[in-house]
Amino acid sequence: MARIIVDTNKLVKVYGKDIKNEVLHGISLKIEEGEFVSIIGPSGSGKSTLLNILAALDRPTSGRVNVNGQEIDKMDDKQLALFRNSNMGFVFQFHHLLPEFTALENVMIPNWIAKGSPSDEVKQRAIKLLDLVGLKEYEDNLATQLSGGQKQRVAIARSLMNNPPILFADEPTGNLDTESTDKVYKLLRNINKELGTTFIIVTHDKDIANRTDRVIEIVDGNIKRDFFI
Amino acid sequence: MWFEFKVAVRFLKSGKTQTLLILLGITIGVMVQVFLGSLIQGLQKSLVNQTVGNAPHITIIPQEKGPENLISPRGEEGFRIITFDSNRGGIGRWRSLEEYLKKVDGIKAVSPTIDGSAFALRGQKSLSVIIRGVDINAADQIYDISDRIEAGDPTLGGNNILIGNELAKELNLSVGDNLNINTSMGIDDNFIIAGIFDLRSKDLNKSWIIISRDRAQTLFDLPDQVSNIELQIKDVFTANDIANIIMSENTNINAESWQKNNQQLLTALRSQGSSSLIIQIFVIIAVTLGIASVLAVSVLQKSRQIGILKAMGITSSRVGLIFLIQGGILGTIGSIIGTAGGIGLSQLFVNLVRDEMGNPLFPIDIDIAFILISISIAILAGMIAALIPARNSAKLNPVEVINNG
Repeated sequence: MARIIVDTNKLVKVYGKDIKNEVLHGISLKIEEGEFVSIIGPSGSGKSTLLNILAALDRPTSGRVNVNGQEIDKMDDKQLALFRNSNMGFVFQFHHLLPEFTALENVMIPNWIAKGSPSDEVKQRAIKLLDLVGLKEYEDNLATQLSGGQKQRVAIARSLMNNPPILFADEPTGNLDTESTDKVYKLLRNINKELGTTFIIVTHDKDIANRTDRVIEIVDGNIKRDFFI
Repeated sequence: MWFEFKVAVRFLKSGKTQTLLILLGITIGVMVQVFLGSLIQGLQKSLVNQTVGNAPHITIIPQEKGPENLISPRGEEGFRIITFDSNRGGIGRWRSLEEYLKKVDGIKAVSPTIDGSAFALRGQKSLSVIIRGVDINAADQIYDISDRIEAGDPTLGGNNILIGNELAKELNLSVGDNLNINTSMGIDDNFIIAGIFDLRSKDLNKSWIIISRDRAQTLFDLPDQVSNIELQIKDVFTANDIANIIMSENTNINAESWQKNNQQLLTALRSQGSSSLIIQIFVIIAVTLGIASVLAVSVLQKSRQIGILKAMGITSSRVGLIFLIQGGILGTIGSIIGTAGGIGLSQLFVNLVRDEMGNPLFPIDIDIAFILISISIAILAGMIAALIPARNSAKLNPVEVINNG
C-alpha cells in the first residue's frame, strides 16, 4: 500500500468572529501518494475552503492536518509559505501567471522564490517543463501574449518546477473551451502517471470529475460521498 | 534579494506612466533641493567672503586697562609722583605671541600691525588717514595688497609707502611723488609713494597708508611694539572658538572675532539658512507623500501578482521588500537625475542672472557633501514612502486573491 500523503482528522473551519459561520464540520479523510482525486460539490459547500486548508493556504479552526508527513495546522504564516514552496504545486482557475514576466520566467519563479537567484540548470529544467506542456516555442512570450489554454499549460509547467509531491488545481479548466479542457486534462493525467505526483482537483465539472480516480463530494461542509471510479 | 529586485524592476517597468510620474516628482523635488541649497550656500559664502574675505577674522589687541591712577600713593618722602605712561597700550611681547599664534590650529595668517592716525598733507589739502605698519608678506595673506597694486610696486622699506587709489585721486598723487605725513603726536615726515592699491573698498582706498612695520614703530615711537595682531583662520565660523582658545591661553590680551562685530550679518545668514531648511523639509515631505500614494495604488494594482507569489510560497516580509526596493530604485534614479538637473539649473542661473557689469551675482556653491546628503535623503524618503504600501502588501491574503480571480 502506498504512503498516506494527506491525512486530516475532524477538520473544522469557522469564519467570522462575532457571527460565527461554520463552513467545515469535522472532515476526516486520507489520500495516498500518487492518487488522482477530485473534490466536487456545489458552490458554498466548503470545497474551496477544504482545498485551501489542504494546500497550506489557510489553517483549520480545529482538527489536525498532516500533509507529506508534516503537521501543517500548527505552522505560522512563514512556515506555511516555505512549506507551500517546497511541497505544493498550484494551478488556479484564472491562470494567474505574472503578466510582467515571460512564459519561461513564470515557470522558474517557484525556484527563484526558493533559491533567490537564477542558475543555468534551473533554466534548462524550465525549458524541459515548457516542452512537456507543449509550449517550448513560446518561452520568450510575455504571459499576456498567450491564449487562455496556453496560460493554463504554462501554469501547470510552473507548478511542477520545484518537483512538488502534491499538485492542487482549483477549477483548472473552469475558463477553458472543450478542446483546451481536454488538452489540460490529458496533461495532468500524464504528469500523474509519469512523475507519480498526487493530484487534488477541485471542480464542479462532472465530466472532469468522472475522469479522475476518486471523487470526494462535499455538501454543506461534510463529506457526502467518497468513491473510486 | 535578487528575486525581489527583479520583481521590483518588472513592476516598475510594467507601470511606465506611473513610474515616470513618480520619477518626475522626485526629480523636481531633488532639483529644487540641490538648486536652492547651492544658491543659498553660494550666496552665504559670497556674503561672508565679501565681509571677511579680505579682513582679519580675529584681531588680537592689548587688554584694556582701566583708567590708570596716574598719581602714585603718597611716597615715603612725602612726594607724589605724577607719571605719564608712555605705553599707549601696545603689545610688547608680540614676537613670542606671533610664534605662538602661528602654531594654533586653524590659523592661516598672522599679521602683527602698528596702527596710527595721521594727516596726509599736500598743498592746501589735509586728509585724515590711517597709517598701517605691516610686514607686507604677512599682510598680503589677509589683504592681498601685492596683487591689488594698480600702479608701482608693493615694495616697502625706508620711506616707501603704498596708498589707495581714492587717496591718490583726492590728492592728485602718482607713483614716485612725495607725500608729507603729520602724525597725531606732531611728528612730521616725507614719504615716497611706491605703489597705489585698490582694496575694493572705497573707505580703505581713501584712508589707508601702508608702510613697513619698522618705519611705523619709529614714526609712532613704539619701539618693538605692535598695536594689534590680525589673524585669518581657515573656517571663518570657528572665529569665536579660536578667539576663546587664544584668550584662555594668554593673559593681558583680547581676541576679538569678526563674528562678534557682525552679529546682524550672522543673524541674517542664520535666518536665511533656516528658512531654506524649512523649504527643503517641505519639499522632501511632498516628494515622500507623492511616492507613498503612487506606491499604495501600485500595491492594489499588483495585488493579484502578490497573491500568486504568496501562494507559491514567498514570505510576507519578502513581498514587503519588493516595495521597499521599488521605493529605493525610484529614489536613487530620481535623485541622480534631479541632482544633474539642479546643477544644470544652478549653472543656468549663474549664466543668466548677472549684475549691471555683466558679472555673475555670486558664485553658486556646488558642495559634494550637500549633494550626497540630498541624494541619500531622497533614497531614504523613497524607502520610507514605500513602508506603508509594503506593510499593506504583506497583509494581503493569497486566498482572497486566488478565489476572486
